[in-house]
Amino acid sequence: MREEILNTKNSALAQILDSQNLPELDELRVGYLGRNGKLNNYFKDIKGLPTDKRKEVGNLLNDSKKAIEDALEKKGQSLTNSLVNEKSWFDLTIPGIIPEIGSLHPQTIVLREVLEIFKYLGYQVADGPEIERDHYNFEILNFPKDHPARDAQQTMFFDVNGTKFTPGELIPRTHTSAMQGRVMEKSTPPLRVIIPGRCFRYEQVDASHGVEFWQVEGFVVDKNVRLTDLFGTIEFVLKSLFGDKTKIKFATTFFPFVEPGVDAYIECTVCNGKGCSFCKKTGWSEIMPAGMIHPSVLSRSGIDTKVWGGFAFAIGLSRVVTLKYQIDDLRTLHTPDLRILKQF
Amino acid sequence: MRAPISWLKDYVDIKLPLKELMWKMTEIGLTTEVSEKIDGEEVLAIEVTPNRPDWLSVIGIAREISIIENSRLTLPALPEIPKKSANLPISVKVHPNLVGRYTGVTISNVFVKPSPSWMQNKLKLMGLRPINNLVDITNFVMFEMGIPIHVFDYDKFKNHKLKIELSKGGEGFTSVDGISYKLPANALVIKDENKVIDLCGIKGGKNSGISETTKNIFIHIPIYSPQTIRKTSQSIKLGSEASYIYERGPDLGGTQNVLKRVTSLVLKLAGGEVASEVIDIKKNDYLPTELALSLNKLEKVLGMNLPKDKVVKILKKLNLSPKEKKESIVCVIPTFRGDLKIEEDLIEEVARIYGYNDFPKTLPEGTTPRKKISHFFDPKFHNYLKNLMVSAGFNEIQTLSLTSEETIKKSQLNLETHIKIANPVSAEFKYLRTSLVPNLLSAVNLNKNENSLKLFELNKVYSGPIDDSREVYKLSAVTNSKEFRFIKGIVDLILEKLNIEDLNIKTTLIEKSLWHPLRSGVVEKGESMLGTFGKIHPQVTQNFEIDDNIWGFELEVSLLEKFAVDILFKPIPKYPPQIEDITLVVPKGIAISKVIQSTKSVSSKIADVQLKDVYKDSFTFRVWYQNPNKTLSDKEVEEVRKKILSEVKNKFKVNQKF
Repeated sequence: MREEILNTKNSALAQILDSQNLPELDELRVGYLGRNGKLNNYFKDIKGLPTDKRKEVGNLLNDSKKAIEDALEKKGQSLTNSLVNEKSWFDLTIPGIIPEIGSLHPQTIVLREVLEIFKYLGYQVADGPEIERDHYNFEILNFPKDHPARDAQQTMFFDVNGTKFTPGELIPRTHTSAMQGRVMEKSTPPLRVIIPGRCFRYEQVDASHGVEFWQVEGFVVDKNVRLTDLFGTIEFVLKSLFGDKTKIKFATTFFPFVEPGVDAYIECTVCNGKGCSFCKKTGWSEIMPAGMIHPSVLSRSGIDTKVWGGFAFAIGLSRVVTLKYQIDDLRTLHTPDLRILKQF
Repeated sequence: MRAPISWLKDYVDIKLPLKELMWKMTEIGLTTEVSEKIDGEEVLAIEVTPNRPDWLSVIGIAREISIIENSRLTLPALPEIPKKSANLPISVKVHPNLVGRYTGVTISNVFVKPSPSWMQNKLKLMGLRPINNLVDITNFVMFEMGIPIHVFDYDKFKNHKLKIELSKGGEGFTSVDGISYKLPANALVIKDENKVIDLCGIKGGKNSGISETTKNIFIHIPIYSPQTIRKTSQSIKLGSEASYIYERGPDLGGTQNVLKRVTSLVLKLAGGEVASEVIDIKKNDYLPTELALSLNKLEKVLGMNLPKDKVVKILKKLNLSPKEKKESIVCVIPTFRGDLKIEEDLIEEVARIYGYNDFPKTLPEGTTPRKKISHFFDPKFHNYLKNLMVSAGFNEIQTLSLTSEETIKKSQLNLETHIKIANPVSAEFKYLRTSLVPNLLSAVNLNKNENSLKLFELNKVYSGPIDDSREVYKLSAVTNSKEFRFIKGIVDLILEKLNIEDLNIKTTLIEKSLWHPLRSGVVEKGESMLGTFGKIHPQVTQNFEIDDNIWGFELEVSLLEKFAVDILFKPIPKYPPQIEDITLVVPKGIAISKVIQSTKSVSSKIADVQLKDVYKDSFTFRVWYQNPNKTLSDKEVEEVRKKILSEVKNKFKVNQKF
């Protein structure tokens, strides 16, 4: 048995010395030292030996085990070192294999950013019909029938033949502001609301006009809403979207459903204010029409103007997307060309 | 509205450089982004908002510039109209609800000739062709003062009792520029005896217009009901400078002054004598009104305290004759400021002249509302689905909701269920889509060179009838990947991630549809149809001129959301599973999903069964044997395996492949 053990030890040491890699070494460890390994089996055999031999064989086995362990350790270290010292040519600059993933549409990306900003400001999101009544789209917002204020929003209307509706009563909404009345009349103030969505206009399609575009309407109704809050909100939103260095300026304008009316401009992101075809050579881009909600809009929606006031604004989402990515043609946004989509 | 700088300078000093002036004008509400050089003169192009008809005049614009420049406004002299010294009688019967005011006078013995060059030049800058002194004067004064004027040849009237009434419809009318129209009903017209001599507020008639031989004239300055003029103008698609002003409601208090201006210019440039009393028919006196501005409210709305004297100064500049009271300021609103009706209007006046860009900026105070609003929408679910699709390698597209009859027909969809636009911009945008798939197929066509195209869209589709319409979000995708199991895998992925179980799949079996009748189906959960998936109908792919191996799906987002089950963590099993592959020979006609289902239900010791590989009729399934309470022995596994094999053999006559 003594000899057998010695042979085993020697062949183990030789095999360890010859082993080429760490897994192979590990196999040897299991084969010799594992629970069912060769050495362990000898230990089990000790029981069958006469008492006087037990100690001697036991010592021999322990020594052999120690020798094999040491050899494994030493060889392991040297194999690890040789892995570290790999000197052959290895090109780190070769391009990696990029996994094929999909892409979000730029409008989705920007809309998410917008919603994130307003979530931070405590706004809730609302979603409503694109097939809208003249009442919510126009009447409730101070656009009387046959008034030139409607000229700014050339409107399509649905074929209502054979229904109880009169022509023009049902329209594809021209702005998400149509949701102001819908939300206000069924919710209790205070309100901070944001409404993204598709809008429709009767427009000839060109680089800067489309029959459809996306808008994000927002409004606040509370007890002490001030014009300075509107200015501050617009600044916060635009700087969050376009960066802290963005230059913003305000101008007076008229929308029937606000008073005072505000228009917000940002310095053109394409030419940095120098004037280019993108900004009609003005250096500025109109981006966020707004104003204090007209008292008659509030009262028509059942809100007591003695207690509550508010402001409203709209963000031309499609416009933000084109400005952010310097896209010079609005049609790019709904052209499903992979060469466009894969850029985002 | 055009405004030549040189003309503005007749009334106000302009010192600011052009660019700065344009921005200052924009800042206070006269949006001026563009100016144009015409005949060497700078002409501003101003976008006048519909609330300010007074800005449709050079004087109106000069008035605002005088505030910007802080300089005095010099208005033209308005000499009184001389007493009549000739006799050309005229009477006019007006429709009191449709004509707010009617002012006019006759002048005899005028001399028609070209207008002086200073006037011609101004009209040219406004884009108008000079005609003769009389017509040019009316246009000049309209541009100058913002109220339209018309001059008739008095001698062309059949009698001198004019009446303004609504047309019956169908009457013929030829305008001064020689174009004939058939009038709609309810257009406001002026008639002498029985012929129409004027289409009110839009165009004068040829039969009563000024000619070279005109001697005697009637000048009138009517103010019509804005809605009536707009309706007529829109229904016959004819507009004019005058109708544009009328639609916006010009100054009812200004007609006398305009008549003074016109008459003095006529007498000066065409000679003649006043030949009638001044006619002035009006419903009211149109006097300036009072409007109070509470300082308290001003501060509350603006969010900053403006000193009272500063506010008064601004209101003075605006010609609003402010009178200081204890806690308010009472303004006198001139008749040309019909837009100032409520206190908020005055607040805007103060704010815009103070300068929007000089305000501090704050964020709203008050607490964040917590009560859920009506129409509340949580974008989380849409975001989740989109992210899932992107992770699966799909590119998102966004396309238009409006579509064409051609696209609907190409897609073999039912035209009847589509909601129709009555006045489409073009045939391309005539219906609201009922499916997202057609635009995805067009996208496949657009990207013909891509051999592994994976596209999706999540947007609304719409269905009629219009008086009971539905708008729902759908998630749709298409791919030209040749394998059915790829698109099925995406559907499975979505349903699995959303934890939706107990689904039923049925073959479409519709001959003419967007989908292949036998290679597509619907996914049902109980009574609800979650959507359709499978192969696009070969006729449809042919119509879209794309490869016929196009696969896709369309799922209803709200139903996915409704049936989605929240994920609950399951502890990792303490004991390892035994995993093995079993290959079965499954003949055609047997649903693999059924084989998997039966296999799973053989024993509680089967944790999962998945299809791993398919080769011809050989299907390799990977089986996870597991007992949560202990490690399974080889013997136990063998028992379960035997059960599986006997089950599939009994149920499906399926044997193991060796």
